[in-house]
Amino acid sequence: MEVINLKGVTQRFKKVNILDNVNLAINQGDMLGVIGQSGSGKTTLLNLITGFIQPTDGDVVYYSKIHHEERSLTKNLNKVKKHIGFTPQHNSFYPKLTVMENLLHFGRLYGLDKKTLKDNIKNLLEFTHLSHHKKKLAEHLSGGMQKRLDISCSLVHRPKILVLDEPTADLDPVLQKEILHLLQEVNKQGITVVFASHHLESIEKICNKVVIINDGRVHSYGSLDEIRAPFMRDHFRIKLPKGADKEHIIERLRGLPIKNIVQKRHSLVITPTHVGRTMNELMEIIKDEGLQLNDLHFKKASLNEVFEKIVEGEK
Amino acid sequence: MQSLLLLTKKNLKLLLRAKGSALVIIFAPLLLILFLGLAYSTGTQLGLHLGVHAPSFSDDVTSFITLLENDGYTISKFETSIDPCIEEIKKGDIHSCIVLPESLKVEGNTQKEVKFYVDPSRVNLVWAVQQAVESKFNFKSQEISEGLTNNIFSTLATTKSGVATQKKSIVSIKEKGNGAASSNEDVQKTLKSLDLEAPSTNPKIANLTGDVANIKDKISDARGALSTSTTIDPIEKSEIDDLLSAAELELKAAGVKELQAELKATKEKFSIVASAIRTSSTKLDSSTENIQNTVKALNDVETSLTGIIEKLDAQKVTDSGVVSSPLVSTIEQVGAQASFLNYLFPAILVLVIMFSSLLLGTTLVMMEKNSPAFLRNFFLPISKGTFIASTYLTTLIMIVVEVVIILAISLFFLEEVLATLPSVALVLFIAASVFAFLGMGVGYLFTSEETGVLGSISLGSLFLFLSGVLLPLEGLPVWLQEINQFNPFVIAEKLVREIFIFSTPLIDVLPELGIILGYAVLLFLLIWFLESLVHKHLVHRFMKNHHRAHRQKDKLKKNDA
Repeated sequence: MEVINLKGVTQRFKKVNILDNVNLAINQGDMLGVIGQSGSGKTTLLNLITGFIQPTDGDVVYYSKIHHEERSLTKNLNKVKKHIGFTPQHNSFYPKLTVMENLLHFGRLYGLDKKTLKDNIKNLLEFTHLSHHKKKLAEHLSGGMQKRLDISCSLVHRPKILVLDEPTADLDPVLQKEILHLLQEVNKQGITVVFASHHLESIEKICNKVVIINDGRVHSYGSLDEIRAPFMRDHFRIKLPKGADKEHIIERLRGLPIKNIVQKRHSLVITPTHVGRTMNELMEIIKDEGLQLNDLHFKKASLNEVFEKIVEGEK
Repeated sequence: MQSLLLLTKKNLKLLLRAKGSALVIIFAPLLLILFLGLAYSTGTQLGLHLGVHAPSFSDDVTSFITLLENDGYTISKFETSIDPCIEEIKKGDIHSCIVLPESLKVEGNTQKEVKFYVDPSRVNLVWAVQQAVESKFNFKSQEISEGLTNNIFSTLATTKSGVATQKKSIVSIKEKGNGAASSNEDVQKTLKSLDLEAPSTNPKIANLTGDVANIKDKISDARGALSTSTTIDPIEKSEIDDLLSAAELELKAAGVKELQAELKATKEKFSIVASAIRTSSTKLDSSTENIQNTVKALNDVETSLTGIIEKLDAQKVTDSGVVSSPLVSTIEQVGAQASFLNYLFPAILVLVIMFSSLLLGTTLVMMEKNSPAFLRNFFLPISKGTFIASTYLTTLIMIVVEVVIILAISLFFLEEVLATLPSVALVLFIAASVFAFLGMGVGYLFTSEETGVLGSISLGSLFLFLSGVLLPLEGLPVWLQEINQFNPFVIAEKLVREIFIFSTPLIDVLPELGIILGYAVLLFLLIWFLESLVHKHLVHRFMKNHHRAHRQKDKLKKNDA
């Protein structure tokens, strides 16, 4: 079920289209990663989704589960705000307030009743492992804890969608992992998560959907496989030992469901039409030809490679 | 409402935890009050508005008014009473009232009194008015003094001329007197020379009288004895008596010749005397004439001296004090006598309110703008008005605390002002609102807290320097004075002063109250607009950065190509 739909959205500034005719439907429960080069329009896209900026053309539509109708985000901003949580790239809480005070402050401003807010905060503190630090001033927390508090502030009103801009930027790998795990946990609770990041590996690990923005346009949108498909296929690499009968092996491989074979000096790169079936038969050939299992490598196209391809293609 | 309280509570916490802001807010007003004390000075005043009252606007009173008008002072005449003028002073429309006598002419040994009414609460203006008006007053006094001195000198000159004229008469009198004296001496000499002694008498003639007397006595005795004698016959008596009578006749004829000779000699002497007397009489006639002329001349001198005395009597100003200072001035204070603190207190109070509100408004907005949480506020389902109201309420709470502290301390010194406090509090509340909104406006306009605070201080200083607290407004050009009447500090200070010092009821200051209330409403709307601009500005900034990234990318592409 769609939660947010961007319908022909164009964002223009000084005659330059920062986003150009973007059509994007985000489903409930999605974990959507937004990737793109610096200045490609990622943050603008997130700001449009949260209602921070209004599109020059087109409309951002929010689907109300209660009313079973679509509502323009621009026209119903205050009503829709309650269903959206936003975590900007940099921390956005009051450093001079304690963890608890920050959560209480933002929770109350979202109009939650005392009991609901108390329960939400309790769950959030446990969920983000901040229970023991609730009385600490926010400015005294570590970087990871501050990021967790920031995300908690965005979740305190239990939004339907959580939008994050570069949530792992400026964090060390351990903290990055911690935050990504947190986002996964959030997503598991049924909250749609949309986040922009330059860490494509992280997106590849946790997102079920990816949108690639390039030069203000949605270049690709879909599942990871859907994204990868047009650019790079999964392939096997067979390392050939000295003295191996290369021609014989190639001959045998031609009988397999493969698209093509690329010969390299000491290896063969095989692009299968069907990974599963090709794999079984490849195992047999390796066994028959006296090759080592270690010599067989399966390589899946990474999001990074796909992205590089796209960028190179644009150039 | 709950949101408003929550935001306000949060603001207060943030404010107290930000040490820099707290220091600025607490110390800045105190420092400024110190500067105020140090910077007290006055200068040449222009555009003073003076009220003049006189029982009648005679020529010399009018000339004094013209003298003031020529120096650029605006003069309003109050013909019936000075009271309306004093009311105008309380309102601040007139700077000083002058009560002049019916005429400035000094006609006796009494100095003419000129009374000045000033508002003691406008401390520096009092000095300015005194300095400015008294210089004109002294000028007039000097003018009158010169007139009086001229009169004295004129009288003296006239006297001198009269005395010189009479001196000639006196010389003439003296000559005539000398002539009379000379004539009298001649008469005296003539009279002294007269021989009035009887010629030396013949001894017989000398004894004759005694003899005749003796005989007469004896004849008389004989007649007595004859008359008393009884023995003598009457005939005989008659014969005897006849004889006696004959004897008497004989006696009478005895010594005639000698007597005649002597009489002749005497006659001659009398003849000489008669001649001398005639001569003396002539001389005495001349002397009498001289004396009569002298009397006449003396009469002329007397008349002349009477004229001089009359002229001297006409100079009624004889007191040297009156001549040197014909006009005296007295200065009356408008309103009840009070301590110096009373007069300064309204200005201090409004000053504290202004700077505290401006700085608080700016600081709170800047704190929020520079807070990491600022961006998150845009995603909260709270209206702009609530944010503005929370900042305003936070400012007001802090101001109320400051005002309560100041008033509580002040009550130790100014117990009598307790009754006016509710009205003063209302004015301060509205004034604080105006300045808080202005401070917030400054906060929205500037990007860094330092510049924002500096902007607020500058704005406050501008209001302060154009308020008449440091330098009298009357030193400004008139057009700027008129504009400056709308300075919120001026209005607030005027309101507090009128209520605080003159106990003016609120109903009488409704127009001014309406103006600052209008300011508050207008500024609230302006802040609302600025708050919207801040959002747009943020979006613009974001887009601009984005745009820059795009342009850099395009440039790279071109370079690659």
